[in-house]
Amino acid sequence: MNRPDLDDLDHRIIAILSKDARVSNRSIAADLGVNEGTIRLRLKRLQQEGLIAFTALISPRLDRSTRTAFVSIQADMTRFKQIARELRQIPTIHSIMTMLGPFNIMTTCYYRAIEDLHEVTVRQILAVDGVQHVETSIAVKTVKFTNGVVGVSAVTNR
Amino acid sequence: MDDLADFDDTDLKIVEQLRRNGRATHQQIAKALDIAPTTVSARMRRMEESGTLRVVAVSDFAVHGYHVLIYIGIEVSGRAPGDVAEELAQFEEVFAAYLVTGRYEVSVLLALPDVDDLSQFVTRKFSKVAGIRSITQSIGLDIIKFGLDSVEDAE
Repeated sequence: MNRPDLDDLDHRIIAILSKDARVSNRSIAADLGVNEGTIRLRLKRLQQEGLIAFTALISPRLDRSTRTAFVSIQADMTRFKQIARELRQIPTIHSIMTMLGPFNIMTTCYYRAIEDLHEVTVRQILAVDGVQHVETSIAVKTVKFTNGVVGVSAVTNR
Repeated sequence: MDDLADFDDTDLKIVEQLRRNGRATHQQIAKALDIAPTTVSARMRRMEESGTLRVVAVSDFAVHGYHVLIYIGIEVSGRAPGDVAEELAQFEEVFAAYLVTGRYEVSVLLALPDVDDLSQFVTRKFSKVAGIRSITQSIGLDIIKFGLDSVEDAE
């Protein structure tokens, strides 16, 4: 992971937009006592480097899929590029990380009904060429979750 | 707006546009969907005021100085798994904590500035938590996909 060089102003801009991304550049500039052009430049850089992104969150009860499961995968890593490309296409899979551990790929899936989870593991993940074994673990309770911090670079750099 | 019935197709399309670019103007969204800008602003205001919609910036782990992600599966014995998870959740390094089914009872995601920080975390914090019988750790090498709409409210 890259180590970006961010100053206090960058962090303050991010803090404001983390609460509400619809705030205008002019209003942020006025709040922080800098030029509007400075805000525009800083935001451009932060977005280009995959450090921030703007998104819409809707209330979980309106969301189609609100349960979380972890699907750990053992796969033939010599074919990793193709495997990653195919896993990325599966909409139920929310995040994918390559790992050093008992499993080489870890995915987080958001689903609604248990049948959907069966569908994604058996019919979609196991069907990918090179995937040898999967193990599913259902999150029955989320005790802690840090909102707003994500793998932005995984989204913007690919 | 208390249930899904009040959330119509136009609302959903506006949300989709915002997911692609949360800072798109009302005019840009209106043009993409071929509707009036006033409709966009009215719908957005209604959704935001009812607490259904939030448009936010999300930031990369690196922005917060986290460069190492580690998943830990924990086998618990002699203590309620919920208590172990709650205690682990107090540590700032613990980014997420779940009670799970399967071979482990608790799963946590650690976010650390550096690999060197792991030993301190384990000796000073993790090893002092009672009820942990065994741990299996996996070090994150590369993030391949990450949904930007991750929002999970811890209960």
